[in-house]
Order: sequence, then structure tokens, then C-alpha cells
Amino acid sequence: MIARSQRERLLEATVRVVAAKGYGATTVADLTREAGISRTTFYAMYEDKEACFLAAYDNVAEALVKRVAAAYEAEERWPDRARAGLAALLEALAEEPEIARLALVDVGAAGPAAQRRYRAALQRLTPLFDEGRDFAPGGRALPANTSRMAIGAVAGLIADELAEGREEYLTRLLSDLLFATLVPYIGPAAAAREVGGNE
Amino acid sequence: MASESRRDLILAAMIRVVGSKGYKETSVADVIEETPTSRTTFYKYFDDKHDCFLAAYEMLVEQVFAEVVANCDGNQPWLERVETGLSTIVKLFALDPTLARTAVVEVAAAGADARQLHWNAVSRFTAYLEDGRELSGGRELPENISLMSAGAVSGLIFDELLAGRGAQLQAMLPDLLFAMLVPYIGPRAAAEEMRRVAATR
Repeated sequence: MIARSQRERLLEATVRVVAAKGYGATTVADLTREAGISRTTFYAMYEDKEACFLAAYDNVAEALVKRVAAAYEAEERWPDRARAGLAALLEALAEEPEIARLALVDVGAAGPAAQRRYRAALQRLTPLFDEGRDFAPGGRALPANTSRMAIGAVAGLIADELAEGREEYLTRLLSDLLFATLVPYIGPAAAAREVGGNE
Repeated sequence: MASESRRDLILAAMIRVVGSKGYKETSVADVIEETPTSRTTFYKYFDDKHDCFLAAYEMLVEQVFAEVVANCDGNQPWLERVETGLSTIVKLFALDPTLARTAVVEVAAAGADARQLHWNAVSRFTAYLEDGRELSGGRELPENISLMSAGAVSGLIFDELLAGRGAQLQAMLPDLLFAMLVPYIGPRAAAEEMRRVAATR
């Protein structure tokens, strides 16, 4: 039986190594060295580098989604919930910018399977955005893809900032992200009020 | 054969091969096989696969852009111009999902330089959205609003292409238009435009 701690160690090591070296340049040997496990143990757990990376990626995404959801749940009104969730996301990304870049930007280099994981992780946030339907007058008549649009806008703004290496400014994005989240549901005037009102 | 056209053939082949095999899996040999040229010719023009891909991507962007410009009439009202521009791109992508995959999905696998080209292209398109600010009735809109609009649209297109639904992309046009317009004109007016476009199709 493979100890749980070995697997965890490997997945954490994978995130660190890939974030530092890039996915393409990372070898299985890099991963086993960083995790302090043997090659045999590695291949007992994962078929190859990609399988290991995908598992590590899922871990990172899971932690981020949980953190966002917890902050979101702590508030009552939907715009306040959205603000809290986005603030938690930015905080988490700013704490570990290398992991953030791995999660949102460099994931593309790891191939289509990794990109699917990335999009799937984003889609897990769909229910949080879609509560805007109940909050907004006429929200139920909005297109089915409204939450995916808002998520795309948010992810695009963050990825742009990370790709430019401006992670120190991430938390300043909060106003724009909140506007992008609220606007498809409540429109630009109300979204601007919500953004400005609580600052 | 003129050298320019030989270079263009290689670039076109690069776009096709990457769109169907994926950037990582594409080799220089795969690209040459698709053209009546040799390895020697390839390396006369390009340092390596990456160098060739960047040139191919630039060509692709120019092609898409030329198509949009050809269809758009600068005298049209903003709403109509946005709709024409968006539907031109969506139609082009739906007719050639392989090209679309290269343009939107695979470019992410080709490194930071390629991503930069992708962003530059997105910014060129979003520059056209800026006029929409005038429709907001003088309200202060966020500086990044065109990026939000573009992010929402490209996210949806990315998902559809990744799921292999590129050929059905035109069915998404009303939703894409909604996504593009809503930060400027709000959900009610954007939904009206969406229904209008859906009805004319």
C-alpha cells in the first residue's frame, strides 16, 4: 500500500516543480527527487508525468474552489457573496503567484487533458454565479450560458494580469472582477453601484 | 515556385497540422509532409517549429482580421458593427474548426510568445468595442470593460472548441453576442439583441 503522505508529497512537489520549470521541461526524475520517493513508487501511483500533473492540478483547483465557496457562503446578499468569493480567490492567488500562474496560464502547455481540467474547475463555480438569476429582476430569462460568460470574463482578466507578471496587483482587480460578475445579471448601472457602494 | 508562396504554404500547413494534431504532438516533419517542400526549404525560412508557428499565427490573425474588416462598414452603428464582426469570426471558425482550434486552443500550448500574439490579437479586436462606452449614457464604466467582454466571448468559444463542437459554433452566436454587449448595454437590451439575431437566423 502506498502511504497517503507519499502521494500528497508527490502532488505538492509536482506543483512546485512544474511552476518553477514549466511543464515541458519537467521530468519524472525531477518529481521523484523533489518528493523524495523512488521511481518505482512513482509508477505504482501514476502512469506518467501527465497523469501525475493532472492529479496535482485537481488538488490545486479543489483547494481554490473550496476556499472561494467558503468565503461566498459566509455572506447573505448575492452581490456581497460574489464580492467575498472573488476577494478570497484573489487572496489565494496572490499568496502563491507561481501556483496561480500554473493554474490559470501555464496549464495550456500541459495539453488538452489539462485544459479540460482547467475549464471543468471553472465550471464548478457556475452555481455561485447563477444565484444572480434569483437576485436579478428578470434573471430567469437570461441565456443559459450567462454564468459561463461571467466566469470567462473573470478568468480572462486574472490570466491577463498573471501572464503579464503583475501578480502584485492581483488584489486591485477586485472591483473589475465584481463588475464583470454582476453585470450580465443586473446591468452596468447597478453593477457599478455595487462595486462603488462597498468600497 | 516563388519563395513567398512556398513560405505561405508551410505556414498554412502549420496551422492545419497544429489544429488537428495539437501543438505538442506536431513535428516539423508532419508540417513538411503536408507541403510540396523539403526540410531544407523549411529551415531556410524558420529556425524551428516554434519560430514557424509564431509566423503562422501572425498570418492567421491577419487573415481573420482582413475578413472582419472586409465585412464591416465603418458607418454602421456600433451595435451592428459588433454583431457583424462577431458573426464574421464565428462563421469563419465554424467553417474551419481546425483553424479555430489553432487560433484559440492550441496557441495556449505554444509558450509565452504565442500567448502574447494571441493577446495582441484579442486587444486589436477589443479596441473596436471601446466605442460602446458612448451607449452607457455617460456612466463611468471600468477601464477593463472590453477585456471582460472579450474574455466572456473567448471563454465560451474555447469551451466549445475544446469539446469538439466547433462546427456547431454558429448556434452559439446569439449567446456570444449577449456576452459581448451586456457590460455596455445591460441584460435587458442585450437579450433583445440576442433574440433579434436568433430570429433572423
